[in-house]
Amino acid sequence: MNGRPSPTALADEVAERARPGGIPFARLAGGRWRLNGEERFGLLLVGPSLLLLLLVSAMPLGLLLGTSLFRVELTKPWATGFVGLGNYLQMLEDARFWHSLGVTVLYTGTTVVLQTVLGLAFALALAEEMRGRNLLRTVVLLPMILTPVVVGLVWRTLLLTPRYGLLDYIAQLVGVGSHSWLGDPALALGAVIVMHTWQWTPFAFLVFSASLAALPVEPFEAAKLEPVTAWQRLRYITLPLLRPAIVTVVVVRTIVALRAFDAIFAATGGGPGTATEILNLYAYRVAFNNLNLGYGAALASTLLLATAAMTVGFGRVRAVVEEPR
Amino acid sequence: MTVQKRRRAAGAVVRYAAVGLALAVWATPVVWVLMTSLKTRTDIFTIPPKLWFVPTLEHYRASLNTADIPRAIANSALVATVTTLLTLAVSVPAGYAYARVRLPLRDGLLFYTLFTQMAPPVGFLVPFFLLLSRAGMLDTVAGIVVVYLTVTVPFAVWLMTTYFLDVPRELEEAALVDGCTRAGAMTRVVLPQVYGGMAATAVLSFVAAWNEFVYASVLTGARVRLAPVAIFGFLTTEETLWGPFAATGVMIMGPVVLVAFALQRYIVRGLTLGAFR
Repeated sequence: MNGRPSPTALADEVAERARPGGIPFARLAGGRWRLNGEERFGLLLVGPSLLLLLLVSAMPLGLLLGTSLFRVELTKPWATGFVGLGNYLQMLEDARFWHSLGVTVLYTGTTVVLQTVLGLAFALALAEEMRGRNLLRTVVLLPMILTPVVVGLVWRTLLLTPRYGLLDYIAQLVGVGSHSWLGDPALALGAVIVMHTWQWTPFAFLVFSASLAALPVEPFEAAKLEPVTAWQRLRYITLPLLRPAIVTVVVVRTIVALRAFDAIFAATGGGPGTATEILNLYAYRVAFNNLNLGYGAALASTLLLATAAMTVGFGRVRAVVEEPR
Repeated sequence: MTVQKRRRAAGAVVRYAAVGLALAVWATPVVWVLMTSLKTRTDIFTIPPKLWFVPTLEHYRASLNTADIPRAIANSALVATVTTLLTLAVSVPAGYAYARVRLPLRDGLLFYTLFTQMAPPVGFLVPFFLLLSRAGMLDTVAGIVVVYLTVTVPFAVWLMTTYFLDVPRELEEAALVDGCTRAGAMTRVVLPQVYGGMAATAVLSFVAAWNEFVYASVLTGARVRLAPVAIFGFLTTEETLWGPFAATGVMIMGPVVLVAFALQRYIVRGLTLGAFR
């Protein structure tokens, strides 16, 4: 990233850079436009990746939507048949679906807010060069590259097991007491939210650190001439300048939080009961524990649709926020 | 002490407290796994937790003596390596093209690539299961590699595009003027500029394939069991083998962590992809 944060989406940048006439290859080739040759060359390079994506993502997407219109239960092969929108109608009356949707919203919302606030706080506190900062920047890479499933299992066993887990022990030391953190429906969702926040606050921290390092110095120089407090400087100069970075973090983390699966699956499996069952986990359980592929496909389609809507919608938000600058 | 000096001192205290706290929060769980993997069974379950102990390698031996783990690690290494090589083969040319060549529908293609990266894998699980089972490719290396390419190729293309954008355009223009062919300029002049980026892309592709669990849990079975699935074997409801579990966790995550630290400078961009170009 070279410490050069650019809040603009990559696509915009690519378009912008290439727009003024593109690369002058065409001109070099004798002053004539040879757009076809140019395009052919480009497609030749992009072709394999597109073919691959088409084959292994567009085709499954079609198959997914198709399957969601059928009743496919591997335990009842005789019952397979076309049901139209039946699976989707079933979803409307499925209390467990609505519950999992609620858990997803709560989980996503809470973790994104926590990550953003904590990441920003740490980035601001460590904005100046100081001892230990580089070490920290290395250490925070850990949660992002560790195997998520193993992270979930570690939290479930070594950290949160009542009596023997390290965090449970610390909780006893500070007077919170020993609890069945992942076994108590009232605590489990909180525990997996803390775990996800531990995993992904480093992302926000790194993004904000780089953005802070790249802020223009002029507004701060100007503020030195005025009697402003540190709080005013933060509130009226730093935060407004960071707004694009904050929006970016919220957007990216929201979309990625919707993909959360591994760690929560390993830590609780969605339980106890359905206390931590996000939509992902419910779809997985329906399709591969109950072997009800048709209904599972309908749930998964809904999830994909929500993600696509978010991706597009947030792109709009981002464009609007960045426009006035 | 003036007010200003006192304030500055207070600021320093806050900042060092923040560094200390952050280091403790993010390093402790990892250090704890490493320590647990080296403790005897008795030491693991001693309360209060032992910070000083005589280390033992018994859990590593136990883990490597299981039928499952060594094979799973070998399988994971094979799958991740093949995935990485294929990913580079398709994403490097594509990245170059998005960065440099006029393409029809380029923005649409880039967005589609991005969406496939953002889509939750659970969404694709049902169709992949149906396709692979129809093709007889469930529980095969080829089958899971093809599926992993859907995970790695999109972000690899994005990442490589950003690295190619960083290469000064004048370099290849000069090469063209000197009589290089277009492909020659690409391979001999531009490509060497992005070796670092390629290394980062390779590491991140490898890590993604190595760590992947959702697809592995459904699309592979006894034949091509992969490490993230196999490690569950230590934590069944009947017995919980913390020692061997921790040792296996260290063996799975350790090498990746070391490589990532060595290439830290390059991979931060990949890890924060989407936030920066």
